[in-house]
Amino acid sequence: MSDRRPGLRRRDVLAVGLVLATALVITSLVISRRPAAAGADQQARGRELYLTGCVSCHGVKGEGVVGPDGRRRGPSLQTSGEAGAYYYLSTGRMPLGSSDEQPRRKKRAYEGADLDALVAYVASLGTGPKAPIVHLAGADLAKGGELYRANCQACHSASGSGGALSYGRAAPSLHSAQPREIAAAMRAGPGQMPVFSSREIGGRDLDAVVRYVQYLRTPRDPGGLPIGRIGPIPEGFVAWSIGMVALLAIVAWIGTRMPIRREVEVPDQPGEGSP
Amino acid sequence: MSRTTRARRAKREPVGRWIDDRLGVAKLARTALNKVFPDHWSFMIGELGLYSFVILVLTGAYLTFFFRASTTEVTYAGSYDALRGVRMTEAYRSALDISFDVRAGLLMRQIHHWAALLFLASIVVHLGRVFFTGAFRRPREINWMVGVTLLILAIFNGFAGYSLLDDQLSGTGLRIAYSIALSIPVAGTWITSLLFGGEFPGPDIINRLYVIHILIIPAIITVLLTVHLAIVVRHKHTQFPGPGRREDNVVGERMWPTYAAKATGLFFLTAAVVCFLGGVFQINPIWIYGPFDAAQVSSASQPDWYMGWLDGALRIMPGWEIRAFGFEIPNPFFPGVLLAGLTFGLLFAWPFLEARVTGDHGEHHIDDRPRQRPVRTALGVATIAFYVILFLGAGADVLSTTFGLSVNSVLWTFRFAVFVAPVVAGSVTYRLCRELCRRDGLPMASKVSWGEIPSRLLGRHRPPDASPHPAEPDEPMPTHDELV
Amino acid sequence: MTSPEPTSGGAAERLAAACFLLATAAAIGLAVVYWRGGQTQLEGIMLAVALGGIGMGIVVVAKAFLPDEEATEAREPLASPEAEVAKLTADLESGEAPVARRRVLVASLGAALTALGASLLFPIRSLGPRPGRGLKTTPYEGGRKRVVRADGTPVRPADLPEDGVITVWPEGHTDAADAPTLLIHVRPNQGFRPRPGREGWTIGNIVAYSKICTHVGCPVGLYQAAEGLLLCPCHQSTFNVLEGARPIFGPAARSLPQLPLALDAAGYIVATGDFSDPVGPGFWDRER
Repeated sequence: MSDRRPGLRRRDVLAVGLVLATALVITSLVISRRPAAAGADQQARGRELYLTGCVSCHGVKGEGVVGPDGRRRGPSLQTSGEAGAYYYLSTGRMPLGSSDEQPRRKKRAYEGADLDALVAYVASLGTGPKAPIVHLAGADLAKGGELYRANCQACHSASGSGGALSYGRAAPSLHSAQPREIAAAMRAGPGQMPVFSSREIGGRDLDAVVRYVQYLRTPRDPGGLPIGRIGPIPEGFVAWSIGMVALLAIVAWIGTRMPIRREVEVPDQPGEGSP
Repeated sequence: MSRTTRARRAKREPVGRWIDDRLGVAKLARTALNKVFPDHWSFMIGELGLYSFVILVLTGAYLTFFFRASTTEVTYAGSYDALRGVRMTEAYRSALDISFDVRAGLLMRQIHHWAALLFLASIVVHLGRVFFTGAFRRPREINWMVGVTLLILAIFNGFAGYSLLDDQLSGTGLRIAYSIALSIPVAGTWITSLLFGGEFPGPDIINRLYVIHILIIPAIITVLLTVHLAIVVRHKHTQFPGPGRREDNVVGERMWPTYAAKATGLFFLTAAVVCFLGGVFQINPIWIYGPFDAAQVSSASQPDWYMGWLDGALRIMPGWEIRAFGFEIPNPFFPGVLLAGLTFGLLFAWPFLEARVTGDHGEHHIDDRPRQRPVRTALGVATIAFYVILFLGAGADVLSTTFGLSVNSVLWTFRFAVFVAPVVAGSVTYRLCRELCRRDGLPMASKVSWGEIPSRLLGRHRPPDASPHPAEPDEPMPTHDELV
Repeated sequence: MTSPEPTSGGAAERLAAACFLLATAAAIGLAVVYWRGGQTQLEGIMLAVALGGIGMGIVVVAKAFLPDEEATEAREPLASPEAEVAKLTADLESGEAPVARRRVLVASLGAALTALGASLLFPIRSLGPRPGRGLKTTPYEGGRKRVVRADGTPVRPADLPEDGVITVWPEGHTDAADAPTLLIHVRPNQGFRPRPGREGWTIGNIVAYSKICTHVGCPVGLYQAAEGLLLCPCHQSTFNVLEGARPIFGPAARSLPQLPLALDAAGYIVATGDFSDPVGPGFWDRER
């Protein structure tokens, strides 16, 4: 925050820091809308949850743990911040059953106040990005689409259905992602995902992207059944398995004599041709 | 019945008489009406292609009234709110307008696209029918080649068509096509510069593709379709073996009235299937893909199915290329140009290659049953297996997402499968054919030893004795095998 | 087989008539749907029912009421009789002979037609410019240029967090198809090893590579930050950012070209020159 320029006196720095700190505290109080006393309780609750659920892989100070076999059991959390903690915990990706398991979206292990407490505690372990609050109302859908196509679709696909990365990795589908999870993921860059800082995609742009991702859950499908919205592969499948099968069935029906019993014979017909 | 018929005839006569007085076509018309169509459903598959083409022309003509093949930059202000205010080309905007703001426009667009997929599918199935029944043999080699040309034109026009819209997916496809053309040794840079009007994306390509897509290729297809059908009329249809069916006759149903009615019915039913797909299944949702931007791409980018084998070949090709003396033959040349050239070259040459190998240069109007030609059938199935694996390769990323596999493992699997699957499919087919023949007590084609094939292909083969080789269905021979 | 009895059409007649009536209803329905504002699915279904009803009705009529006799047509030999061929040959020669004897005429006409054909090829040349150095250069060529985002704003190193990636262009050329560049900030502990001779091409841990795949030119847009891999979604070419964007899987045979970076006086990132190699897909004389 404060540049250590030579001309700046120490007292000034202190003063600026004090003002900023006060502002931060007030802001966070306003955002969390909780009395100050609850902060201490939350801290204690978060610590308690952390020490039961996370400590075995991530260490007491969130420094990460290397097992006796030399393999890393869990990474450091000191740079994941509120955004990383919120993303992993609210999507149920953490905690894992074992350190070999791949994190996947599943049912949350922590809900409500517990979730908030644990996220806040992990955030307090180091310096990491905040999990932004998203304001979808009034967010620019078209702008979000542009940003999504520029930054997200390469991995998550234009339809948000996810996609394959190399060596068994995959970008998950975004169709079940909640707004704040999306925002937190962009700030934290979990797993293989790059980080999108607030300097790159600022608050309003972030809201726009999130709104577009939310839109992709149920976009307009004026053409009918969406068949995945990922283009030619499912389309080719439908063309062959429905279109071509139907056409061949029709041809087979037309081309074989019989199904319909002949009702009227043509009078001057010499007789049935085929023996 | 006779009274009403006479009444109708009296009514009809003046018009017919009027025409015949001026053109003298009564005899010709009667010949046409009496043309005999063999009685087997598989002979109507080609008609599916013809009718799909008619639907393509009709819907395509409608779409031209609204589409603008221009790369002028505009700002979208139509009724799709998720793109409002976005900069895009006029081509893409007009495609969006067709989809959202032209009443029945989206239906026409979707029917057009589904009809294109089914046009190609019909052509391929029809080609398979002709191949597996040996209906390409003398005197039909010319028509086989006309048909293969139509297939190539249809593939190219399909690609040109979906590349016009200038959405992200089509632009990516166009860029790949550009790079494949660029990889052609010596001439590649010139070809692409002349075709695109410069470096990719080039100022003119959309406009040029439009002319090619709506005028040049459809005109050639129309001419060749006419030739294709005229030759069929000239040759008369082939027919399957059966009682009373000989090389010198055609047994079946006359054109008029029954066959004409059935064919008309088939046209309407084909149109019904395509319209059903067009109305119910969303195809190519370009509004999701967004406008083309050379710096953007979406995962799961694939071409339409009839180009899938080429895309799959590009994917499973290992990272090899040839560089020497400062010149290079880039990687995409091998799967993109060489494979395509070999595919269509072999297709064109097949009737002649087969005749050389079997030494059978005679006329054939009776079709083979596929099981009686085990080697041809096995080769055909092996070829299909080869292209199916390539096609699956194009969906490697979609497959690995769907089944939770590593895309690298999937591609490695295909790198092997593309060689193994044809061998397995071919030998299973071969055995199956022999088994079926033995069960039915059918004679099989005569034998040619593998060792003779090269000399036969080069035309230096001298048969040891003039008598045809007898069929030997049961003999297990390690060094000899049946060919065609 | 029943005896001819036109009045008892029976089931087939009823079926065919029902098909036609259904088609009529669907066609009217189609018109109404269109008139009421249109609805793609209803339009498609109505159209399909109308067409299908007509088609099915016709086929039912053909199967049930039209003659079903088997006809046989003779197949005449295709080749013309020798005498016919001989006459044609003679006719053709009667026209050829007087000219063919006059060698000068034939030769000069041949020359005229060849020259005409060759000269008609020249307008093809107008279709596009001569492929020059354009394929080997990008707008980065010729001195220091700021790199900018799609909206034209320049980039400071601090804008890019660790594991961050953004797409940039040379200033003033954000529409150039050969210039998209990936700025990637690798983590300091990730083991980035610059290519020999390119040690000074990065700013801290920020490195720049062409976004255009060296296979067939798709944007290599998938950055796997944890492993420092770039993946092309079109054909799965995979490049290792930590080792000079060397291809490690897939059909691409060449590394992504690297862009030399530096900072200008205002602290913005600039490119000090063009890419290390021609960008994008290969071609015949790329190395010449």
